[in-house]
Amino acid sequence: MPPMTDPILIDDLTLAYGTQRVLSGLSLRVPAGSITALLGGNGAGKSTTLSALLGFTRAQSGSIAVCGIDPAADPDGARRHIAYLPENVALYEHLSAVENADYLLALSGERQPRDAIVEGLAAAGLQEQAWDQRLGGFSKGMRQKVAIAVALLRRVPVLLLDEPTSGLDPRATADFNALLVQVRARGTAVLMVTHDLLSAADIADRIAFIEAGRVAHEASASGAERFDVRALHARFQAGGAKVAA
Amino acid sequence: MSIVRLIARDELRLMARNRVAVIAVVLLVLLTLVAVASSWAHQNGIAELRGRHAHAAESAFKAQPDRHPHRVVHYGTFVFRPLGPLAAFDPGVDAFTGNSMFLEGHRQNTANFGDARQSSLLVRFGQLTPAFVLQVVAPLLLIFLGYGALARETERGTLRLLMLQGTSRGQVVRGKLLALGAVAMLAGLPAMIGLVGIAGQPGALALPMLAIALGYAGYLALWAVLILLVSTLVRRSRDALLALVALWAVAVILLPRVAPDAANAAVPLSNRLQTEVAVARDLRTMGDSHNPDDPHFAQFKQAALDRYGVATVEDLPVNYKGLLAIEGERLSASLYDRYADASYAAQARQNGLVDWVGLLSPTIALRSLSMAAAGTDFAGHRRFLEQAEAYRFALVQRLNRLQMEDVSYADDGATDAGADRRKRIAAHNWQAMPDFRFSPPSGSTLVGKALPGLVILLGWMAGALASLAFASRRLGARR
Amino acid sequence: MILFRHECRLLLRQRLTVGALALLALLTMAALAGGMAEVARQRAAIAAIPAAHAEDIGAIADYVDRTKDAGSAAYYSFHPTWDAPAPLAFAALGMRDISPYILRVRALGLEAQIYDGETFNPELALPGRFDFAFVLVFLAPLFVIALFHDLVSGEREAGRQRMLEALPNGGRALLRRRMALRLLLLWGLLCLPFMIAAASAGVAVSAVLIVVAIVAAYLLFWAALAALVGRLRWSSVANAATLAAAWLVLVLIVPTLANVAINASIPVHQGAEIAMAQREAVNAAWDVPREATMRRFYADHPEWADSAPLGPRFHYKWYLAFHQNGDARVADKVHAYRAGLEARDATGRSLGWVLPSVGVQALLTQLAGSDLAAQLAYQDRIRAFHARLRAFYYGYLFRDRPFAKADFDRAPRFKDVPRG
Repeated sequence: MPPMTDPILIDDLTLAYGTQRVLSGLSLRVPAGSITALLGGNGAGKSTTLSALLGFTRAQSGSIAVCGIDPAADPDGARRHIAYLPENVALYEHLSAVENADYLLALSGERQPRDAIVEGLAAAGLQEQAWDQRLGGFSKGMRQKVAIAVALLRRVPVLLLDEPTSGLDPRATADFNALLVQVRARGTAVLMVTHDLLSAADIADRIAFIEAGRVAHEASASGAERFDVRALHARFQAGGAKVAA
Repeated sequence: MSIVRLIARDELRLMARNRVAVIAVVLLVLLTLVAVASSWAHQNGIAELRGRHAHAAESAFKAQPDRHPHRVVHYGTFVFRPLGPLAAFDPGVDAFTGNSMFLEGHRQNTANFGDARQSSLLVRFGQLTPAFVLQVVAPLLLIFLGYGALARETERGTLRLLMLQGTSRGQVVRGKLLALGAVAMLAGLPAMIGLVGIAGQPGALALPMLAIALGYAGYLALWAVLILLVSTLVRRSRDALLALVALWAVAVILLPRVAPDAANAAVPLSNRLQTEVAVARDLRTMGDSHNPDDPHFAQFKQAALDRYGVATVEDLPVNYKGLLAIEGERLSASLYDRYADASYAAQARQNGLVDWVGLLSPTIALRSLSMAAAGTDFAGHRRFLEQAEAYRFALVQRLNRLQMEDVSYADDGATDAGADRRKRIAAHNWQAMPDFRFSPPSGSTLVGKALPGLVILLGWMAGALASLAFASRRLGARR
Repeated sequence: MILFRHECRLLLRQRLTVGALALLALLTMAALAGGMAEVARQRAAIAAIPAAHAEDIGAIADYVDRTKDAGSAAYYSFHPTWDAPAPLAFAALGMRDISPYILRVRALGLEAQIYDGETFNPELALPGRFDFAFVLVFLAPLFVIALFHDLVSGEREAGRQRMLEALPNGGRALLRRRMALRLLLLWGLLCLPFMIAAASAGVAVSAVLIVVAIVAAYLLFWAALAALVGRLRWSSVANAATLAAAWLVLVLIVPTLANVAINASIPVHQGAEIAMAQREAVNAAWDVPREATMRRFYADHPEWADSAPLGPRFHYKWYLAFHQNGDARVADKVHAYRAGLEARDATGRSLGWVLPSVGVQALLTQLAGSDLAAQLAYQDRIRAFHARLRAFYYGYLFRDRPFAKADFDRAPRFKDVPRG
């Protein structure tokens, strides 16, 4: 069901934990078939944004919608449209790759036959000999492939990523980025929290900087706002310094 | 300060900063104090009650009017098992055995009115005594305090950090052992102070107390070693905790229950009905005093006549009925003794089987050590039963002798109007009867019974220390 | 259903879990087998009564037949009574190991006989029996703790929690399913062997249903406690330590403390006093005029008052009469003693309303007919039987009828009560 509006729509969101304000007037939209990278210093509000989208935290004001559903009001409804990869993909070590995928899909109520799962794992770049191996000996990249395979197999319109490339070697990072491009091609809206400016510049359609709980700067991969990696880097360093100060 | 002591101090400081640990220690101390106080009060109450009952029974016996001695044989007397002072520390089987016994002629009665049959169902959950706290609760507290001692350091990688500072594995383990050992001794201290408090009471014995103190100190130290052993072998603290709780549940809760059941099944005890029927049967075959043609009693009668050189029982200088009563009592008592001995032997065999399981569960070894030293084990109860039976037999035979000597044969069989008066003998005879006095075992006897348990505990200790030494050589080598 | 299969696979891939579940099954079966063996032993002992009794009575009959004296028959004849184990007794042996289930009584004073004990090894009785009730009350909570303590914290520590929660139905529903599965497994491992044992022992279906419901409720309590502790969001280790401490307090410490409190607040020490008072009352009869004894007896039992007056010779009707007078003299004490026992028991049971461990034990022993109430009911049956014995022998003594060999067969026989 193609959504009429953008799959991720955040407007003037304000959120505080007690007296501590985390988001103050954050607005963000991620259209279908695009990748948005969310950058910002520690504590700028990136993770909180993801939490709000997943329905873990409730905003005080503003609006937030995932495929038209308010995650705070209907978390399960919103989550039905979201695939989420946490920073450290942890799966069940004593289950094989196929079993993990089978289990997680079943949990989501989207069971699929083994053929489809295997196809998904292959599409995620996991080699055949690893399909039926237990996850105990997998590298971080391989685990991530299993997780992304699940995300792909779920065919959801929204993919949320939390620091997906941290701790990956350059080769694995390149593989992962290639995979994300494929996901975008299927019309998925991808929101990626990252510190990896190079990857962001490489594949993101838009880059949003968060500072003090709001989007301070947005750049796009094309047109007048086209971003310049050097300038972004400078800005990133300045933002980080400001937060640290 | 030596490295070992530094490490111990650090571990103790960590425990002191852990609020849960401090609360747990305080609770254990409180629980011990409550146990000591309640056990002490309970023990005093029992001693007072049994003393009062015993006194009442003795006065009643002595206040009897002039009576035929055989009436007094049936009137009998009550004896009450006194509790040794150490029973306040470990009452052992006291609640399960009856503590009052009716002694009369021809029969060996059971000891009745045990507390377990007079309490609510809660009594089967265990009894709150200092021994229970130290045997059951204290090890679990040590587990909570010590499971992470080494597993935590391995898990977080701080062990390598320590070793990079030049600390040897042995020093780390010894330091942790010192800390946990200190806590173990602290946990046992209130109960030991209670034990010393009991020592101030008359009758307490220094040697058994020493055995108890040694046994419990060894037991708690053993747990400290076992905890460190598991903490050394296991990589994650959670696994260490689960493994230790499982070990505790098996050694402290499960095996002490399974072993008796196995012993019960392996060595059957004959029940009272079967014993009494068998005694009656044996008595009939030995000699039936009711049967005038019985060969045993015919022979007995002839022997008596020969001894006094007379022709008929009427001519005997003593009352033949008394003579017969003495012989009858001798026969029945010897039979009862034979069956009682068989039953005691079977029960001792059962307890021996359970003691063997002590090789698997140090708690069983400690429990039998503790009860034996306190004189509250089966052997202690048996001591009471045997002394009571010896007293009963002596009393009944004294009375039978009175019948033999002081009641004439002619009067004894007479049924005329004045006969009842003539059969009676004076009341002062009852006052001359000695009272039952339980003679407590000597300290060395008690310690002798406690020794096997102590040896098993020492064996456990040696094994655990050797395993710890072996395991600590591989500490931190993984991953 | 498919999700349950998935969870099952997930659970059974963990070696710790499989080990724990196998151990629980083993312990349950061992406890049931032990309980059934003990009950079989008790049944065999009861079954052996008639032969022993026949032998004993036969010898007495031979002797009494010479004099045809009903008094001697009454004096020498012991009559067996027994308390057959209820079908469910194997599951909760309760007090059956320390209270007699066979007792022989004579037509003499009952209060000197009814408190007699059975031969048992006190050291074996001390730790309590290893039966199904023990496995359920003491051990099952430990297995619940092992399986439930890291239900959420384990996922959190493994780093999966956020991902699981981000899945639709990944939060509460998943947790509920996992709890349900673990409960079901534990319940099944406890109840399936129990149901097989119960079926072979012929336990009524209703009793079986009650027991399996008790098992479910008890497991549910511990699971709820684990869930409650889990909500504090502590680490798995802290959860396990907290739950084990809770187990220690709820299963061991509070019951023992309560036992001390109950025994202190409801003193019951009349047991030995009854025995002593009864002895005084009985033996004093030898020193008072026999007519006074008989007057007192006839006042209580006018149905025998038309009996012939006593002659100068010893007559057993006088002997038995003063024995019964002795019983009557201590009736108040007996009443108070029993009331004290019942009060202690009732207080202990009422603790079961707040303490599940005690509640389960109380319910199981009640269903299994192995609690104090069952013991007292057995004593009531002995009393009723003893009354029949007295009436039987009095019928000969007070009417001066001869007691021949054949009359031994006419003596009342103790009847087992059929139980469901």
